[in-house]
Parts: sequence; C-alpha cells; structure tokens
Amino acid sequence: MRALTLGAAQSPTVHLTPQARILAAAIAIAFMAMILELIRRDRLQERYSVVWFVAGLGMLAGAAFPGLLKFVADAMGVRDTNVALFSIVLLLLLGLALNFSVIMSRQAAQITRLAQERALEQAREQARLAEKDLETEKEGL
Amino acid sequence: MAGRRGRIGRVRTLVFIPAWNEGASIAGVIGDVRGSIPGADILVIDDGSADATAARAREAGALVASLPFNQGLGAALQTGYLYALREGYDCCAHLDADGQHPAAEVARLLEEVVADRADLVIGSRYRDPSAAPKPPADGPKTDDIGLFSAHRPPVEGSGDYRPTLSRRIGTSVFRFFLTLATRQRFTDTTSGMRAANRRVMALFSEHYSPDFAEIESLQLAVRQGLRVEEVPVRMLERTGGTSFLTPLRSAFFIFKGMIVLLVGQFRPRREEADERHDPTPRGGGRLGKSVEAER
Repeated sequence: MRALTLGAAQSPTVHLTPQARILAAAIAIAFMAMILELIRRDRLQERYSVVWFVAGLGMLAGAAFPGLLKFVADAMGVRDTNVALFSIVLLLLLGLALNFSVIMSRQAAQITRLAQERALEQAREQARLAEKDLETEKEGL
Repeated sequence: MAGRRGRIGRVRTLVFIPAWNEGASIAGVIGDVRGSIPGADILVIDDGSADATAARAREAGALVASLPFNQGLGAALQTGYLYALREGYDCCAHLDADGQHPAAEVARLLEEVVADRADLVIGSRYRDPSAAPKPPADGPKTDDIGLFSAHRPPVEGSGDYRPTLSRRIGTSVFRFFLTLATRQRFTDTTSGMRAANRRVMALFSEHYSPDFAEIESLQLAVRQGLRVEEVPVRMLERTGGTSFLTPLRSAFFIFKGMIVLLVGQFRPRREEADERHDPTPRGGGRLGKSVEAER
C-alpha cells in the first residue's frame, strides 16, 4: 500500500496547495477526535463509529498523499481529480445513508415487536384475572 | 388459559378490533360483536390512543392490548393475530372500530372459516351480494365481470356504504394490480373486515407489512397457497371521525401500494421451512377439518 501511494505521489500533476492540504488534515484529525469524544460520552456506539473512522482516515490520507487522489482518478478514468474526489465522496455518503435506512428499518421492526409483546402481556394478564374471577365466583356458589 | 371463555361450540374464537382514538364508538362496536358473536372473546388493540379508548373498551368488558405508542394499523392487526396464535384460538376475525362493520356480517365470515371453506375470508363491500350469495369453495370464479367494471353501486337501502371519488380510484387501481399479481379476483382490497384460521395467524404474525397491511397481506396469503375468499357484506357509513384519505394522500397511498405489490411479487413463494417453524402444537390447516369431525 505504501509503495503504491509513494509511486502515485511521484506523478507531477496534482493541484493541491499546501494550505488546502493542511486544512484538510486538520479537519480530518478534528473529525476523528470528535468521534472519539462521542464514543467516550456514550453518545455513539463503537459499531457505528467504524465507518466514520474509515472516512476520517481516508480524508487524512488524501491530505497527506495528494498523489493518492490522482492515482484513484486515473484508475477511474477521470481526468479531473476534483470530479473523482466528489464522485467518491458522494457515493460513499449515498451508501452510508442507505445503510442507516436499513438499520432504521430493522430497529423500527424491533420496536414494533417490543410494543406488541408488551401489549400482549397486558391482555394476557387481564384474561388471567378474568379467568380467576370466574373461578372464585364458581367456588362461591 | 384454555378456559370456558371464547368458545362457539368447540371452536375457540377471538374477535379483535384495532382502535386508534375511537373512544366514542368502541363500546358500541364491542356490544354489537357480543350480540352477534356471543361465544367469542373480544380483544381491542389500542394503537397508542390519546383518548379513553382503552378505558371504554375495558368498561365494555373486552380484553385490551395497549400498544405504548401509535404503530399503525398493520402492527395493530398483527398484534391481534399474535394473540390469537399464542393463546391457541382456532379462528379469529377483525373489524374496524369506527362502527362501519356490522358484527353480524363478521359472523358470516367466521362461518366460512369454521366450515373450512377458506383460510382467509375478506368481507367485500363491492361484491354484489345477489350475484354471489355463497361463493364456491375454491374461491370466487366470477371472472365474466371485467376487472374494472366490478365497481357496482351497493344494494339500495339506507345506511349502505358510499365511497368517495379518491377512494374509488384507489380501489380500482389496487383491484387491478392485485388481480394481476394473484390471478384471483378481489373487489375490496382494503377491507378491514376479515376472518382467518390458524394457518393465517401463523403467517401474519410473522410477516405482516406495518405500512401496507391490507393489500400485501392478501398477496402474501395467495402466494403462500392459502385459500383466500371474498364474501359480500354490507357496511355502514362512518358514525364518527373522518377518513384519512385526502386526494394527495390517496396518490401517495397508491404509489406506495404499487411498490409493495411489485416487491411482493419477488418474495419467495411458500416455504416448507415456514411449516416447520409453525409453533402451533395442534397443526394449522387440518384443524378446521378436525373441528368438523368432532361435531
């Protein structure tokens, strides 16, 4: 992987100013720090944080090795690196959003079943009591 | 829990009523059911009502299962099927809580199930009662009427059901596509008046779309090889509240329904695995016959 990125970095035509790279790296690091903090405060579960860490690392890698972007763009057959970057990010976000819809659907189904179980338990309890009343009534007669 | 209650002859019957903010009409519906189907247990599924629906139902002597928050009609109906399945009822029926469904008609649906002429029986407001007083056992065979021409005005008389235009359009669209999907003619795809046996309970308590309960459940039942039958019934105008169907909502409703039907066509057909997972100790479909034999 390292050899690959180094090889790509040698390619000359990447238009990223040092300021832009520093800014991107800073944002990536701040982003990952935020994720760590969210996990620490129990606001984010580890299993949902992995994907964001990967995104943060990807951002950092893009800032550190601009050649990487160029390499990916070439591999995609896209001449403009920026277009490649935007397409990749867009696709990733699309995938993430879909992933969340799937998770949400699963949890909605779980919540529904939980609500149903609770309601059923309530009705069963009521039926049990009614049955008991009926029996005591019979014994009383 | 298999007590003296909830029996018609030897058949344990549950009638359940999904209710969402129907405090005004629920007691009347319960009374109607008790009068027309005296042997049945009555369960009201309170779908997170904000009013006194649950209290009214309890006062009227029904069992009440309260969902802690509103989950939609599909989830409420599924709760009823779950209760019927787990508490060992032989057959079940459900009707709307707003007073549109006369319980006497529900009793007729139950007769079909108890006689084992069908697994799932739908009460249809649109099927002409005079044309088919008792549909044949192997499902309706009245295809001489076209797909679209099936909308006939209900029989003359006061208190009969008259749908609005947007509902009529939706009904025709669903009728067309459901007929296409199942190759069986349905006239009242969104009817909330149904009766079912244990095979249906087992199916619906596991697979029941919370969003689009009425139509998808029909498609599902037919695809699983269950015998689904429509019986013409008389329905009344709403006694309280308004229909939730505005034109825009109807359009959305129809669109959603088409997606549901399309996806449903690609679901696996009847799985043998489902049969094995059937948690009923008394063996689903054969039950109706054994009931008859016991008589």
